[in-house]
Amino acid sequence: MPRLTIDDIEIEVPHGTKVIDAAERLGIMIPRFCYHRGLGSVGACRMCAVKFLQGPFKGLQMSCMIDAQDGMVISTTDAEALDFRRHVIEWLMLNHPHDCPVCDEGGHCLLQDMTVSGGHGMRRFSGEKRTYRDQYLGELVQHEMNRCIHCYRCVRFYREFAGYRDLGALQIAQKVYFGRLADGPLESPFAGNLVDLCPTGVYTDKPARFRARRWDLERGPSLCIHCSLGCNTVAGARYREVLRQEARLNEEVNGYFICDLGRYGFAYAGHPERPRSPRIGSQAVGWQEAVAVACDRLARLGPRSIACLSSARASVETLGTLKYLSKRVGSDHFVCFYDAAVKFKMGEIVSKLDGRTAVSLRDIEKADLLIGVGADPINAAPMLALAMRQAQRAGAKVVMMDPRPLFLPCDFEHLSVSPELFDVCLSALVKSTFDRERVGKHGEAAVTLYDRMLSCDPLDASVQARLEPLIAVVEGCRRPIIICGSDIAPASSVSFAADVALLMGEVKDQSGVFYVLPGANAYGAALFDAANGSSFESVVQEIEDGAIKALIVAESDPFRYVADRDRLQRALNKLELLLVLDYLPSETVRKAHIFLPTRAIFETRSSFINQEGRLQVAEKIHSPGTPIWQVSNKGHPPRLYGTGICGGEPRAAWRVLQQIAHTLVHSQNEISENDPWPVIGGECAVLARHHQHNGPLHGLRIIPQTSTAAFFDGDLDLQPKQPMDGHLTLLPVVSTFATEELASYSEIIQRVIGSPCAYLHSDDAERCGLLDCDRIRIAVDDGFLEIDLTVSDKMARGFLILPRHSRFEWQKLHCFAQGLPVEKIGNCTP
Amino acid sequence: MLPDQLRQHLQKVISEAEYPREKAIEVMYEIQKHFGYMSDAAMQEAARLLTMAPVELEELATFYDFIFREPVGKYVIQICDSAMCWLDGYESILEHLCARLNIRLGETTSDGLFTLLPACCIGYCDRSPAMLINRRVYGRLTAEKIDRILDRLRSLAESVQTDQATMS
Repeated sequence: MPRLTIDDIEIEVPHGTKVIDAAERLGIMIPRFCYHRGLGSVGACRMCAVKFLQGPFKGLQMSCMIDAQDGMVISTTDAEALDFRRHVIEWLMLNHPHDCPVCDEGGHCLLQDMTVSGGHGMRRFSGEKRTYRDQYLGELVQHEMNRCIHCYRCVRFYREFAGYRDLGALQIAQKVYFGRLADGPLESPFAGNLVDLCPTGVYTDKPARFRARRWDLERGPSLCIHCSLGCNTVAGARYREVLRQEARLNEEVNGYFICDLGRYGFAYAGHPERPRSPRIGSQAVGWQEAVAVACDRLARLGPRSIACLSSARASVETLGTLKYLSKRVGSDHFVCFYDAAVKFKMGEIVSKLDGRTAVSLRDIEKADLLIGVGADPINAAPMLALAMRQAQRAGAKVVMMDPRPLFLPCDFEHLSVSPELFDVCLSALVKSTFDRERVGKHGEAAVTLYDRMLSCDPLDASVQARLEPLIAVVEGCRRPIIICGSDIAPASSVSFAADVALLMGEVKDQSGVFYVLPGANAYGAALFDAANGSSFESVVQEIEDGAIKALIVAESDPFRYVADRDRLQRALNKLELLLVLDYLPSETVRKAHIFLPTRAIFETRSSFINQEGRLQVAEKIHSPGTPIWQVSNKGHPPRLYGTGICGGEPRAAWRVLQQIAHTLVHSQNEISENDPWPVIGGECAVLARHHQHNGPLHGLRIIPQTSTAAFFDGDLDLQPKQPMDGHLTLLPVVSTFATEELASYSEIIQRVIGSPCAYLHSDDAERCGLLDCDRIRIAVDDGFLEIDLTVSDKMARGFLILPRHSRFEWQKLHCFAQGLPVEKIGNCTP
Repeated sequence: MLPDQLRQHLQKVISEAEYPREKAIEVMYEIQKHFGYMSDAAMQEAARLLTMAPVELEELATFYDFIFREPVGKYVIQICDSAMCWLDGYESILEHLCARLNIRLGETTSDGLFTLLPACCIGYCDRSPAMLINRRVYGRLTAEKIDRILDRLRSLAESVQTDQATMS
């Protein structure tokens, strides 16, 4: 490792460290604009010049372009370097407008900092400044080109790093213009990163425009809970609402960036209709009364007549205490997943992720082969797509098995096969990589599975032809990773993916499986839900039978997910008590007999476990309360006197649940009321170790080193069913902004989602007499559903792919679970 | 929008390259030769042929001096706008051109005959100040020399016009 001296301090750094980073490790921030660790060096801005005194380089050099080497002696404060940098900043500032007081970047602007630290205090240039016409770049990013200093960070990120092609560097020399061909929304779901990356105010956060200066904000480390990746953010709140979020560096998870869903999805927490008071029926009441009445009603019911429901968006704290409550009241039912199949898959996933099979997003970037099994990264976990692109840029091959017309911001091989063929395809792809002897090390079951793989039927000739050349790639790769979805992928494939990853570990340098899960805390939910035979289906059944009389719903909205809503409605009507705790104005909340308002992620410290089993903590950012603009009618806040904050009633769900538990069942040594972790530890052995968990900065992997789970126990689905003649299989799928629950309450996201769109293969479309861009009408029990159609030949035949779009009642199609007769599809193109 | 013959020619040119984008400039020149400038529609068409994003092609089109994104006059005067010419009287030459043509840099005369544009160094430094008219180079410019050139081009254009009038 090279040792060098910077400003008279010696330091040893890993090979390949740039001098600018070596200095930063010593706490010496060399000024920079174009250099960004996430994007690499280009040496364009000339701002990071330092003086090299000894070693292989001499004189003034750009510290971002030179790797640290043994024996270097560098001065960052040398008079020549200082003078050089002072001039650089002065000419970068020539055209920069004097608009800091009205610029949203003011207060956290790198250019401001560099101007001051570069020693450029007085402006000497009195000529005319260059001006540009700004573009409309959509609802998320504001453009203000006059401020540009031409560092090229935006285009480097947008095009090279993220792989989208609608932003460019136009013109020449001093007229260089960063923008689109014409006004219009930026197409990339990562465009919000331009706000973080731009060293000055060319790209600013549009929804937060003119709302606050950085120093006005209550800021703190938070998490994105819009998908299962658990990207790290910094949330900033003012006047009782979150105004903006930025990416927070986590080397193992999201790196330097986040997607736009994570950046702009927060507005659900400040939803104008968010219920903020406890309620009995439609009557707002105090906390004490609401809890007392709830406890009283629960106490009157028998122990087996209470069921508890939560979801994959609830925090570990909420889930743990709800489970605790359910046990204390003697409930048999603690359910976190609406769909029994998803629950089963989650159980498989949690039991098979261990030190040998789990990989992080960072590992994805380092892989040389990525095999997707029923995963749609851009729609289900956008940052995964960005990591895959980095792998592909470094030479990795990407193979995706999926019936959907996938899009990825990188080159990939798409095998558009039905989910039933995933097992066969994966077997065909990897079986030649293994041999019986090596597989035998994993025991009898592994050999049986291997034999099953060998025996699988040959594939369709066209698929086989596409597979053939890939087999050699699988054989030759050293660091393969399987990316496996959990919605459309069948249970057998979910399980098989981990088995293959484990076997690959034997013959490759590094291997693993990367699951995409159905929710921010799906892993956590599965931990609590695992050893439990109950499913939501059985809960509904028992409500109908009259066995269950009370349902406690904590941060969950079954109406959003359950297909048969009428049946759910009838079941809930039968309940004696529907107790709902939530922070969303959901349909379930509206139907609650007793409602207790809880705190959103920004209002209480909460923990979530991401899809690789990483426990991460989001700190409390601000105290709950109705955002001031909502109570003030955009004027002065009301001059009312009272104790407490208006709308400040929400409490952390775990506190309420713990209180109910302790009121219902008294015991001698009550556990602390200020720390949920003893209770959580009691409910989940894996989490028991984290009693004193203070949230290490980058989260903590809670997966076991070697799982005791039975690998190789799944049965491969090698004989796919033939679809019914004249029927299409319906495939409800996720879509980046349009299907996520929290985002559907986020006004900012609602502004940018497109209209729902169904996909059909061109052959099927021809058969049905439909054309691309037609509007189709599907006959359902009580009327019609209309949706725009996109015809594609990049998807599997025999499917009608529909988004679970918040503006499309996909639930009504549940009657066609066995297949949609094509005659039910009509054309209603105007 | 492209005539079939031109399209086929361009497709052939592109197919000969290892990567289509290598031919981006050539394709734009060919289209410009046909239409006189690169309209938005022409840019879209060229991008489609080259399988490039339109903004990627626009980056090139706006970078180079010799691709015109707006209609230009019959004679495009490109005055060399670089260090040697600046030292050798660029400013007075430009002033004279503007006065004679009654336009500013970047504009076209109302009769559609002349467009005046700056160009990056054209490598005629030993005979500065210099300019190009429709890619033909003129060096050691003086006010008188410019007058002579402009007069000649004007009368040339007029004679062509008269010819055309008599023919029709």
